[in-house]
Amino acid sequence: MSQRTDSGVEAAQTGGPNRREFLATVAAAHGAFVLGFWVPSRAEAQTPSGAAWYEEPATREVNAWIVISPDDTVTVRIAQTELGQGVWTSNAMMVCEELQCDWTKVRPQYASANRDAREMAPAWTLKVPGNGATDPKGGGEPTFGNRDRRGVAGIPDSLYRRMRTNAASSVKDGRYYLQLAGAEARERLLLAAAAQWKVPVAELTARDSVIRHAQSGRTTTYGQIAHLAAATPHPHPETITIKPPDQWTLMGTEQKNLDVPLKVTGRTVYGIDVRLPGMKWAAVRSCPVYGGDVKTYDFEAVRRLPGVRSVVQFPTPDPALTRGRIFSGGVAVIADTWHQARTAVDRMPIEWTIPPEHAAFNTANMREALLAALDRPGTVQANQGDVAAAFSRAARVVEATYSTPYLPRARMEPGNATVLVTADRVDIWIGDQSPQETRFSASKITGIPEQNVYLHLCHLGGGFGRNGNGPQAEQAIMIANALRGTPIHLLWSREEDFVGTTYRAMGVAHLKAALDADGWPIALDVRTAMQEGGFGPDASFNVTSRYHVPNYRYSNHTAKFHVPVGTRRGIGQAAHEFYRESFMDELAHAAGKDPYRYRRELIARTNLPYKNDMIKALDMAAEMSGWGTPLPNGTARAIALEERGAETNGMATISAMVHTVSLSREGKVRLQRVDVAHETGFGLINPLSVRKQLEGQIIWFYNDAMHQMNTIAEGRIVENNFNQFPISRMDEDPPEINIRFFPTEHWLIGMGHDRATSVQSAIGDAIFQITGKRFRDLPYGRHDLTWR
Amino acid sequence: MAFDLTVNGSVHSVDADPQTPLLWVIRDHVGLTGTKFSCGIGQCGACTVHVDGRATRSCSVPAATAIGKRVLTIEGVSADGSHPIQIAWKEFDTPQCGYCQSGMILSALALLQQRPNPSDADIDAQVTNICRCGTYHRVRQAIHLAARLMKG
Repeated sequence: MSQRTDSGVEAAQTGGPNRREFLATVAAAHGAFVLGFWVPSRAEAQTPSGAAWYEEPATREVNAWIVISPDDTVTVRIAQTELGQGVWTSNAMMVCEELQCDWTKVRPQYASANRDAREMAPAWTLKVPGNGATDPKGGGEPTFGNRDRRGVAGIPDSLYRRMRTNAASSVKDGRYYLQLAGAEARERLLLAAAAQWKVPVAELTARDSVIRHAQSGRTTTYGQIAHLAAATPHPHPETITIKPPDQWTLMGTEQKNLDVPLKVTGRTVYGIDVRLPGMKWAAVRSCPVYGGDVKTYDFEAVRRLPGVRSVVQFPTPDPALTRGRIFSGGVAVIADTWHQARTAVDRMPIEWTIPPEHAAFNTANMREALLAALDRPGTVQANQGDVAAAFSRAARVVEATYSTPYLPRARMEPGNATVLVTADRVDIWIGDQSPQETRFSASKITGIPEQNVYLHLCHLGGGFGRNGNGPQAEQAIMIANALRGTPIHLLWSREEDFVGTTYRAMGVAHLKAALDADGWPIALDVRTAMQEGGFGPDASFNVTSRYHVPNYRYSNHTAKFHVPVGTRRGIGQAAHEFYRESFMDELAHAAGKDPYRYRRELIARTNLPYKNDMIKALDMAAEMSGWGTPLPNGTARAIALEERGAETNGMATISAMVHTVSLSREGKVRLQRVDVAHETGFGLINPLSVRKQLEGQIIWFYNDAMHQMNTIAEGRIVENNFNQFPISRMDEDPPEINIRFFPTEHWLIGMGHDRATSVQSAIGDAIFQITGKRFRDLPYGRHDLTWR
Repeated sequence: MAFDLTVNGSVHSVDADPQTPLLWVIRDHVGLTGTKFSCGIGQCGACTVHVDGRATRSCSVPAATAIGKRVLTIEGVSADGSHPIQIAWKEFDTPQCGYCQSGMILSALALLQQRPNPSDADIDAQVTNICRCGTYHRVRQAIHLAARLMKG
């Protein structure tokens, strides 16, 4: 380790509080935090003095997901992180549907990532029931196979399996085993009651936490029987089945999110809110050019500032712990409060060692490099028919080049983590989309086994990308490891958050189509380029053109840059949907055809398995919007499909949106109205959360379309706070959003991302319809949109 | 240097540099963490509190400016969520991640106290907080409902 503690500085607290005392103190100070969300006084009353929250008395734990208290409170352990998407509620709904408990007495709690390092998943959770995506009785197609096992080294089927919150997959991957967990517990509660009453279990019914024996009129509650159920194994858990959608009573209903009461009173505990006895704050500066490091710093210049305690230099986090990404080395100042630490680190002279090849990068030369990459041979992902021959007989050729910029997540809560390292144990308080990976990082950095790493998970103030947390955990662990015995709360400034986040890769695309005499495409040649290592560099284009074309070629290309890139409310698909749907609009206009009917016909000509669902979505959205009816001058409608997975017969998510956009002569864009036709698949878990996701993603992609762009100069990210990186507010939210659902016959992939990418192409097409000008480089807000 | 700060009706003796931003005094010295830090430059409004009834971005004003004045934070709106604005927020299940919502509620409350019947244009002009999850659609509906509830 090249990190070091500045000697001569006031030594960090030694010893640290006694472990048991320490946890008890935390529990007293933050009852709601350590115990999840419930009235704190009640939560404290349920916790034996001094016991840690993750080790509640085993007698009441029916299985690893469900704890039932004597008062019938059901604690549901959630292995995904709540970051606004509603997983805290939807996961609990999936368990409780099967448990058949009283929904008003449910309290979610984060599952223990430590326990996940010590226990294996029960065998009955390992087999997905049913026959895949089109079997309503089954568990769909969870994708555990894609799990990165580095974060769970040696424990491939660990207790909670996938603790990541990513890829819009919390429902897709978790539903079957959360339903199984609820069903297994229900069956054991029934078995326990049957044994107590000495009656056949088949004569018992369970509803709203009450078990009844109709013949004798006897009743008991889950709370009364839970301690017996905990000691009653199921004889044949492999025979347990899950309810298909036609039997759901809780799933599929609109449920308000269980944590909203805390969020309107300021009582939610995010990572930034963690306070521990003896805790010190860390403010950091890391080299603004990625791959750079600290050359020198002058702590003497700031050590006498109020509250300042010490300084810790840390190296570039090991790329093996940050999914291969190279961030930077930096320095942390430790102080009594964060404001003191930040004041000091901002005033501390620091010189950097910057790799000259990284400092040479800027947006202009990176864009040139991507465009040049398009002209070099790429990876051919699709080559159907004879594209060259079709172009030679084209009645007309249309081509266009598009670009999308680097984009950060810019979540509202800046990166932070609180870490305490002692001789044999690591405790981490963090909002984290990848707790298993953070556990792994903690073990690698400190040398303490994963089984001794405890994560105390908090809500996240926005997520938008599994790896979006960047290296704040690794930085905090390195700092706390240098100051063992002292809890260190690292918090990034907003400016530092722009350095520590990962970016959606900048991209360019060239699309070229051959049209026949009637304007229908007979060939399509698509090339996209993205930074090497970018996520989903071939997303969706690699499988199909979506819209029918008999001759189709797709290749993806890369250039090597230094920016750490990652997921951002999806992967490459958001950019690729902008390219594809914009180009479909261009082709329709070139053909003199209506963009809705043009799309509809080209979907109808395909053999795609879910083509009827896509046509339904287009038709419904067009009908909802009043497609074709007159609009005022300066207002236009544009339509697009949004699908993931519809090119195969697996899980999919399909919708269409019509955007009604106005443009003033002064160039002011307003998204006036959005009409959304969205499939339900076999069933949405919580349609209210789905609506909220759609509303939120509309303004998210409006931001992407109109405003957002990070540029690079001398290797650095230029825009690093919200004065330079504008984010839409109330005045840009569309006044009217209409959402309708239609049923389909497959399981959905998920709602967390790529559900409103159409805003990007639609605004561009509306601008074209109104002004005759076509802009192909996002964001539109940097172009002259005035018209006469 | 110690000074007194009146937050949510209680007087707190604060031992801090009075030039410390009000946000950090509220979070670290008074110990109320419902008020959030996000941009630190008064852009996003996550840190919004009321100072003598005016919506104030507490990250960008020294605590000294609030001495002798009444500071209201989310914890003082009502601890049990019974204030009409909180009831309206819950009715629409408004928050997503929730991080901006304390400031959003305080901004909306200041607007409603000034204009009991705000128009959409009033809302656009005065509730300029950033929400990255995009809860604006429900925030607007919740403000209109709160206006009705606050009239009793």
